Amino acid sequence: MQPLRIALAQIAPRLGLLDENLARHHEIIEEARGKGAGLVVFPELGLTGYLLQDLAAEVAMRLDDPRLATLASAAKGMSVIVSFVEESGDHRLFIAAALLEEGRIAHVHRKLYLPTYGLFDERRFFAAGDLLRAVPSRLGVGVGLAVCEDFWHLNVPQILALDGAQILVNVSSSPGRDLAATNEVGLGTATSWRNLMRTYAQLTTSFVIFCNRVGVDESISFWGGSEVIAPSGEAVFSAPFFEEGLFTADISLADVRRERIGLPLLRDERPELHVRELARIVAERAGLATDSTADDLAEAGLDVAPGDPIENPIGFRAGRR
Amino acid sequence: MTASRPAGDVGAPKGVSRPAGGVGASMSALYEMPAELAIDTSIARRVIAEFIRGQLRQAGFEKTVVGLSGGIDSAVVAFLVAEAIGAERLLAVLMPYRTSSPASRTDAETVVARLGCASEVVDISPMVDAFFANDQDASSLRRGNFMARQRMAVLYDRSVTWSGLVVGTGNKTESLIGYTTLFGDSACAFNPIGDLYKSQIRQMAEALGVPEAIIRKAPSADLWPGQTDEAEADISYPLLDRLLFWRVDKRRSVDEVVAMGFERTLVERVDRMIASSEFKRQVPPIAKLGPRTAGVDYLYPRRRPGSARG
Repeated sequence: MQPLRIALAQIAPRLGLLDENLARHHEIIEEARGKGAGLVVFPELGLTGYLLQDLAAEVAMRLDDPRLATLASAAKGMSVIVSFVEESGDHRLFIAAALLEEGRIAHVHRKLYLPTYGLFDERRFFAAGDLLRAVPSRLGVGVGLAVCEDFWHLNVPQILALDGAQILVNVSSSPGRDLAATNEVGLGTATSWRNLMRTYAQLTTSFVIFCNRVGVDESISFWGGSEVIAPSGEAVFSAPFFEEGLFTADISLADVRRERIGLPLLRDERPELHVRELARIVAERAGLATDSTADDLAEAGLDVAPGDPIENPIGFRAGRR
Repeated sequence: MTASRPAGDVGAPKGVSRPAGGVGASMSALYEMPAELAIDTSIARRVIAEFIRGQLRQAGFEKTVVGLSGGIDSAVVAFLVAEAIGAERLLAVLMPYRTSSPASRTDAETVVARLGCASEVVDISPMVDAFFANDQDASSLRRGNFMARQRMAVLYDRSVTWSGLVVGTGNKTESLIGYTTLFGDSACAFNPIGDLYKSQIRQMAEALGVPEAIIRKAPSADLWPGQTDEAEADISYPLLDRLLFWRVDKRRSVDEVVAMGFERTLVERVDRMIASSEFKRQVPPIAKLGPRTAGVDYLYPRRRPGSARG
């Protein structure tokens, strides 16, 4: 297997300026081609900027938008992952990541999990995707796409790996926060993400590529720190924080085979066990089945009966009956 | 920090018997730094520099105006602005009142000299005294608020003459307890330090090389001789910062922070200060009548495409 050169476009998109960002994407794709990249990854909403609010509808593109076709043409000979606001035929708006190959859109992933808490308000403006698929690529391996928050849900990397992905790609607009000096790298967000990426790579025995933007939208600053993690969980490359740039990293896809032979976690996965237990939990939470291992008075979906509300917060109580 | 004395009425809650959460206070030579509040100042400077540049770019401005009081907050902001865009693009405006401490003036001038930025002195005494000429009994609260708003008016005038955005100098501590004047010292185009507690401002000041005298001295609104924030609020900044950090940032309940060692009367007093000043931290509400209402269901980024001047 040939070595693969990955180009991480750690850019600072201009908020709401689609044409400007498109032009920048074209420049970077050419620059990456010049560097010999086989895979180019842009961050979440790299074509539009992140904090769009009501601008989302104004920068949305349908998948048949000629501007996407032009971008796909420009990407010929490489695999390029871009992200934008997608408007569906029924006028829902999605945060989408698209894999461009052979002059066309080879695959679109619609962000599954829309954070709407803390500083996030995505569900107000966007619809959540419903499909999670690994897809074949011209790289000769399966690719799984995910967008930012999707990777804060354990099932996403696992399903992508079980579905045949050897490269998991997460494109992000992660706002940096929590500057506590006790953090490993001086930034709480970065510490969390770095832990996640290493863990997922190791547990799925896959390459994990993380491309995070930089720059500022309103109050929030995006921290960059894009990475390529090997199936062993070790970082192959870590881009600097907050610095705009096109960074390259070389990987050997043969590492996937080596790791999976030596550490056959995927071989030993039990998807049928997942399905069975998850189906049970879904039924219990809906009150359609009785949980044989739960307390008598436990709420549907919970195992423990509420204790004294004064003495113990709901859902916890001392000792079992 | 200006005027509007917090509604504190509980006497003398001094300190805690033991450090919260087992985290001890680390000592700097210059100030007391609660360990749980310590930040990575190099990352903070990086974020803030990019924030300042982004705000200016998106607004179509190249320069800034900062009201320099001689205190630590505005000194830190001036240093941060100089670091982000260069001192030559900063206008520091000193706006003393006739009762202001001469030391404040000297300290502000030291900052100007250290940075080599443009500066101007605007004495606000004639404006303020003219207004209160026939109202000699005006309370210090009214006078203090009026001074803060005069300074705001001066800064926004200089925003036009200097073609610069007014940079806010309010910190997180004073904002949370409401120790600010609405449309006065809190008015600005953007604020780079509004999410930093006073203790963290001190940490930044040390990292930035702000003159030691400014870091050491007791924070003051400087409305009358000998006034200090900590005497007015009857609490020390390290203690207040820690309490706010655990209550606000770390979502600890009253009972939990009391269990950590904070005095209940103090916790309840500070809680009241936070709640009663909520209005100062928000944009005034607009009565909802039409189909789309600014801030309610008409939601655009403040710096949307086309928002830059020019």
